Amino acid sequence: MGCEITSRDRAGIINPMYDCQPAGAQYAGIGMKDCIPLVHGGQGCTMFVRLLFAQHFKENFDIASTSLHEESAVFGGHARMQDGVMALVRRYPHLRIIQIITTCSTEVIGDDVEGSINVCNKMIKEEFPDREVYVVPVHTPSFKSSQVGGYSECVLSTFKTIAKKKAEPSGKLNLFPGWVNPGDVTLLKRYAAAMDVDASIFMDTEDFDSPMLPDKSIHTHGRTTVEDIRASSGAFASLALARYEGASTGEFLRDEFEVPHHLVSTPYGIANTDAMLRKISEITGKPIPESLVKERGIALDALQDLAHMFFADKRVAIFGHPDLVIGLSEFCIEVELKPVLLLLGDDNTKYKRDPRILALKDKVNWDMEVVCNADLWELEKRLKDPDYKLDLILGHSKGRYVAIDHKIPMARVGFPTFDRAGLYRQPTMGYQGAMLLGEAIANAMFAHMEYTHDREWILNTW
Amino acid sequence: MPMVLLECDKDIPERQQHIYLKVDGEDSRDYLPVSNASTIPGTLSERGCAFCGAKLVIGGVLKDTIQMIHGPIGCAYDTWHTKRYPTDNGHFNMKYVWSTDMKESHIVFGGEKRLEKSINEAFDEMPDVKRMFVYTTCPTALIGDDIKAVAKKVMSERPEVDIFTCECPGFAGVSQSKGHHVLNIGWINEKVGSLEPEITSDYTMNFIGDFNIQGDTQLLQTYWDKLGIQVIAHFTGNGTYDALRGMHRAQLNVVNCARSSGYIANELKKRYGIPRLDIDSWGFSYMAEGIRKICAFFGIEDRGEALIADEYEKWKGKLDWYKERLQGTKMAIWTGGPRLWHWTKSVEDDLGIQVVAMSSKFGHQEDFEKVIARGQSGTYYIDDGNELEFFEIIEKVKPDVIFTGPRVGELVKKLHIPYVNGHGYHNGPYMGFEGFVNLARDTYNAVHNPLLKLAGTDIRGTAPAAFKEAAE
Repeated sequence: MGCEITSRDRAGIINPMYDCQPAGAQYAGIGMKDCIPLVHGGQGCTMFVRLLFAQHFKENFDIASTSLHEESAVFGGHARMQDGVMALVRRYPHLRIIQIITTCSTEVIGDDVEGSINVCNKMIKEEFPDREVYVVPVHTPSFKSSQVGGYSECVLSTFKTIAKKKAEPSGKLNLFPGWVNPGDVTLLKRYAAAMDVDASIFMDTEDFDSPMLPDKSIHTHGRTTVEDIRASSGAFASLALARYEGASTGEFLRDEFEVPHHLVSTPYGIANTDAMLRKISEITGKPIPESLVKERGIALDALQDLAHMFFADKRVAIFGHPDLVIGLSEFCIEVELKPVLLLLGDDNTKYKRDPRILALKDKVNWDMEVVCNADLWELEKRLKDPDYKLDLILGHSKGRYVAIDHKIPMARVGFPTFDRAGLYRQPTMGYQGAMLLGEAIANAMFAHMEYTHDREWILNTW
Repeated sequence: MPMVLLECDKDIPERQQHIYLKVDGEDSRDYLPVSNASTIPGTLSERGCAFCGAKLVIGGVLKDTIQMIHGPIGCAYDTWHTKRYPTDNGHFNMKYVWSTDMKESHIVFGGEKRLEKSINEAFDEMPDVKRMFVYTTCPTALIGDDIKAVAKKVMSERPEVDIFTCECPGFAGVSQSKGHHVLNIGWINEKVGSLEPEITSDYTMNFIGDFNIQGDTQLLQTYWDKLGIQVIAHFTGNGTYDALRGMHRAQLNVVNCARSSGYIANELKKRYGIPRLDIDSWGFSYMAEGIRKICAFFGIEDRGEALIADEYEKWKGKLDWYKERLQGTKMAIWTGGPRLWHWTKSVEDDLGIQVVAMSSKFGHQEDFEKVIARGQSGTYYIDDGNELEFFEIIEKVKPDVIFTGPRVGELVKKLHIPYVNGHGYHNGPYMGFEGFVNLARDTYNAVHNPLLKLAGTDIRGTAPAAFKEAAE
C-alpha cells in the first residue's frame, strides 16, 4: 500500500499528453495585447498550434511563422527572422510585442536570435521612430521540456525584455495563474475584487472567450499590456499559483526588483483555495470577505451530496499538466475519490521531488502510482489488464478514446478539451471550480450508469 | 485586368503576383498567379509543412499502419486529432500517434538508437500490427539520422514486419505539397510491386487521391462494388499498407486529388503502362461524368448508366430542393488547392452557387490553370492568401458562406459569415451523389442560420417591427 513514483520505461511515446515547447510559448504569447508571436521554424509548428487553440477555444488567434524553407536550413534563417518581424511591424500598426519563438530546427541550425533582434530593433527605429516594439527572444527548442516549460519560458522572456527597470509602486499584486482557461481568469479577478485587491493577472486571457458583436469587431486576444508588464516590477508582491507555469517569472521579479514572491499550491479543490485566499489575505492584510465564505459553503454543500454516496472509493486516473494533475488529486481526496494513477507527461526531474507529491505519498493508504514522463499509452496499457479497475478518468480530450474504448466515464478538464462544448468558459480553480468539476464528474458517472444500465435506478430517487 | 495589389499588401508588394481578378476575354497564360513559391515570413500564411503533407494527409490515413515520427514530441502531437478520416476497423489511424520523443542528448549524439528502440517497442506494444511508416522531421533530418538503415535493420530482425521510410522534414519545399511528392515517389520506388494482389474481377483499378474524409471512400466504394470493379488499392482512404504494394497490377488509375497524388499515377503510367484517368468526385454532373469515363474504359457503359440513373432517382430531387434555395448564394473557397477547381463549377452547375473568391494554400500552376478556366469572371484567385488579405477580399466580394478550415471559420464567424468545413466537412461524406446533397444541406443550413441575423442586431437600437408587435 502506498504511493509509488516511477517513470515511463519505453523510449518512444504512444499518444503524447503534451505538445512541444514552442506550442506552450505560443500560448503564453497570445495572452498579450497588441502582440503577435513569430515562430521561427517550419510552418507546421505554427499552423497546427493555431488549429489546436482554435479547437479548444473555438476562436482564432494570430500567430506568425518565419516559414523556414530549405535554403534557410542550410544557410541560416536570419533574413527570414528579420523579414518576418518587419512584415509584421509594417502591416500591423498597433503591434507592440513580437516574441521570436525558436523551434527544434532553428536551435539546431543555431540561428543567432539575439543578433537578429538587434538588427530588427535598428530597422524599426529607423523606419518607425515614433513606435516602440518589443522583440523578445524566446528559446524553446522542441527537444527540451514540453508545452509546460515553453509556456513558462515565454512568460519569463517577455518580462525580462519589457520589465527593464524598477517601476513606481503600483499598489498591485502580480498574479501568475499558469496555463488556465478564461473561466479561471474571470474567477480569479472576481476573487481579487471581492478581497479588494488590485491584481494584475499574467496572462489575462479573459477575452479568449470573445463575442460576436453587431459591429463585427474582433476582440479575441490577450488583455495583458506592455504597461501591465512594465508595472509588474513595482507591484507589492507576486503570487504564483502554478509551480511549473509562471512561477519563474515571480522569482525573476523578486531577484531583479525585490518584489516579494509567493508560491501556493495550485488552487484546485477547497483546501487549496483556502490556502490561496489566506495567502492573499496575509500578503495584503485584507480580510477574506463574507461572499467567499458563502461561495465556499455552497461548494461544500454541493459536493457533500456527491462525496460519500457516489464518489467514495471510486478509482480515478488523472492526466494533464503537472500543476493541474497534482491539484486535482488533492481535490479528489477531499471528495473521497481515490486517485490511483497520476500521469505527468514530460522529463522534468523536479516532479518527483514536488512537495505536494511527497505529501501525497505520506497521505494515501491505498495503492497509487505516479508516472513521470508518461504518455497516454501508460493509461491504456493498464486498462488492457482485465483486473485493472478504474471508475473515472480526469483529463483532456487527447485521451478521449481511452475512455470511449474502455467504457470508462471521463470528465474533461485541462487543455485541450475540444470534444466538449464551452469548458474553457468554466473555472476549475476556486470553490466554484471545485463545485463545477465535482458536478461534471457526477454527471459523467450518472450518464454512464444509464448507458450501461448499472444501477441507474439509484437516481430515481436521488 | 492586371494582378491585384491589395491595400494590406502595400508593404509586401510581391504579393501582387499571387492575386488575380478574372476578367472576361483574358487569357490565363497572361495572368496566372505565382504559386508553389516561397512564403513571405510573418504574413500569417495558412500553410503547413512538408512533414504534415506526408504524414497527416497521406500516410496517416492507412488503417493498419503505425506512424512512427522520428523527432521531438510536437510533430506527433500536432498531427493527431486534426483529421476526419474514419476506417472500417475502428479508426486505428485516428486513435494513435507514435513519436521517438527526441531530447537534446539524441540531437547531440544522434537518434538512430532511439528510433530503433521506439520501433521495436511499438511493434511489441501492438503485436497485431505489422506495418509501419517512419518519418523524419526537421531536427532529425538536420542531424542526418539514417532512418532507412534503422528500418532495414529492424526488418532483418523481424521478418514479419514491413517498414516504409519517408524523409520529408518540415522545412522541405514551401508547403505541405512537398511532402505529398516525397511520399508518392518514395512509395513507388520502394514498395509498389513488392506484393502481388489477389485479383477478383476482370476490371481492376486503383483509386488515387481520396482520403476517406467522413467516409468518402466508403461511399464511392459502393459504386465500384455495384459496377463490379475491383479497387486494388485506395491511395489512401480506408486503405491498407499491403494493398498499396500491389498498385502495379491495376488496369486503370483513377485520380481524384491530382495535387497530392498525381505523382504516383504518373509513375505507375511510366513504369507499368497503367493509364491515368482524372475525375472529379464532388458534384452530380462531375461524378456522373467520372463514372461514365471509367465504365467506358472497361466497356461496361450499361452498368454505369444504370448506376447513374439509380443515383439520380434517389438523390436528384433532394439536390434540386436545395438548388432552388441556394440560387445566387455567394461562396468563397479557402482550402488546399484542388478543391478550388473541383468545386467551383460543380456548385455553380449543380446548386446555382456563385464562387466569388478562392484561395489555395499549396496549389501549383496547373491547379490555377484549371480553376481559372472553370471559375467565373469577377472572381478572385489567390495563392497562399493571408489573414489581412482575407479581410480585404471579404469586404470586396461579401461572401454568404466560406468553405475553409475550422480556425478560419472561427475568425469569419465574428464577421457574421458562416463557414462550412472545407477540409474535414461538417457532416459528410461530400463525394458522390449522396455526398453532394450533404454538401448542399450543410451549405443551406449554414447560410440560413437565424443566429447570423441576430448577431447583426444592436439591441440598443429600435426593435424590428415584428418583435414590437409580438410584445404589444
